[in-house]
Amino acid sequence: MRCNQSVFFFLLTLSFVTPFSSNAQSNLQPTNQESDDSASPTTSVEWLKRLQSLITSANYQVSFVQTTVGKETVPYLWRHAVLDDGTKVEQLNLQNGPGRELIRVDSIVSVFEPDTQPYSIRSRFINGPIPSLLLHNPETLLQSYEFVLVGRARVAGRPAQQIRVVSRDNTRFGYQLWLDEESGMLLKLNMLDLQGGVLEQIQVSAFTITETPSVYFSRINQSSLPDPITMPSTQSRAHGWEVNYLPVGMSEVKRDTRRLALTGQVVEYKMFSDGLVDVSVYVQPAEEAIGGDIALRNEVSTFLTLKAGKAQVTILGEIPLQTAKAIATSISSVSKNND
Amino acid sequence: MTQQQEKLSAFMDGEVEDDKIIDAIKQDEELQAKWQRYHVIRSTMRKEASVAPEMDLTASIAAALDNEPAIVAPKTSRWRSIPVLGNVIPFAAQSGQFAVAASVALAVILGVQHLNQPAPSEPFTTAPTAGPQGGLAPVSLEQTRTLPRNDMNEVLAKKRKINALIADHEQQVKLKQVQIDEEEKVSEEPDRP
Repeated sequence: MRCNQSVFFFLLTLSFVTPFSSNAQSNLQPTNQESDDSASPTTSVEWLKRLQSLITSANYQVSFVQTTVGKETVPYLWRHAVLDDGTKVEQLNLQNGPGRELIRVDSIVSVFEPDTQPYSIRSRFINGPIPSLLLHNPETLLQSYEFVLVGRARVAGRPAQQIRVVSRDNTRFGYQLWLDEESGMLLKLNMLDLQGGVLEQIQVSAFTITETPSVYFSRINQSSLPDPITMPSTQSRAHGWEVNYLPVGMSEVKRDTRRLALTGQVVEYKMFSDGLVDVSVYVQPAEEAIGGDIALRNEVSTFLTLKAGKAQVTILGEIPLQTAKAIATSISSVSKNND
Repeated sequence: MTQQQEKLSAFMDGEVEDDKIIDAIKQDEELQAKWQRYHVIRSTMRKEASVAPEMDLTASIAAALDNEPAIVAPKTSRWRSIPVLGNVIPFAAQSGQFAVAASVALAVILGVQHLNQPAPSEPFTTAPTAGPQGGLAPVSLEQTRTLPRNDMNEVLAKKRKINALIADHEQQVKLKQVQIDEEEKVSEEPDRP
């Protein structure tokens, strides 16, 4: 109630002429005017832009936990800072057990894991439990998902704005996120199945936004970080099959032919992504593959494998089973001579 | 009899004034039982019953107590009353239990090893093994014995194939951003050497 009043007041003072009820659904239309940072955002897209500007330009430290169905809760520490020379540094540390540390200096991410030589890769984001596109480039998600401003709530002891994220064709899992009203920081993120059950949850327990970078980053000797490894771009022969059905907003991001690391089987591989979820499609000869139809749930991922003639098609990704099935059954061969 | 019942019922409702029914109840055990049941039923219907209808345990408990032989509390053993020895004995008993448990565990481990030995948990061959690839099937005396395990191997192989795909998917997801960025790097100038 209070929210509506303050929004109403805000609208009045700026003499907006938007209808009052559009508050809840107005995310569809792109924001015409450049949103002022000091003004309180009124649409879900403005809230996400505010989250993005905070995530990419502020000095902060966040403690959060990740809970997945059937798994133990995993605590993380996440720091970000913009150093005096403009370098953006970020750290993500798994707090339990032997741990796992990722340090990003601009667009190079160094990974420190137990039992593995530290290595660096070229990436603009740390690939953590929070979907990086949601934080860094939420506008790219708009073609696949609808962002609906729900209203006020209280999360982690702070007033928050709740936003629902729903796929436009209802073929993917939904999300709910809560942003701190004062700063715009992400406070909570739920991943929901189509029935509304929580599959995965990220809950911030504490966060601080500071003027100066954390002292932690001054202790990093940037020259001692491992050099980035270069990924050989694999040029592979054309696949003899094509996926004909994809959920709205999903597109192919990768295709190749290679051997699986664990079994050495040769697979033809395509990856599709909508920014929030990635779906892998594998096609291999049925006689050396599983050779049957299996559907199972691995944590929040769906694993579906179908035998279609001489080919075995496998779909893997954080999507509902019916969507995986729709993708799998839409695959058709392009040229008859293959497979 | 039915008249008595009716009277009893009327008396409970306060509609009978004469005292004859009280005497009748005093003398008739059956009527007494009815009297109790009626009261239980009435209080149940009024939802004030806190006892089940057959809950008159007093008589049976009294009877049981009469039959109970008197028990004299046993004295604690003299060994136990000496502090040191009293502690030693349970410890000895405990260690015996521990020894038994340990030997069971050992047997389990041995059993597992024995079971696992024939099934080769060989790591995946990524390259085809060079060697004679003729049409001769290897002859083995154990062939009949390994037959029942074939099914288990199949299940394991299936699991391994599933795991291989899941692991690969997870790796691809991890590396996706890297590739996208590397492709973009081609057009951008690198900010770090």
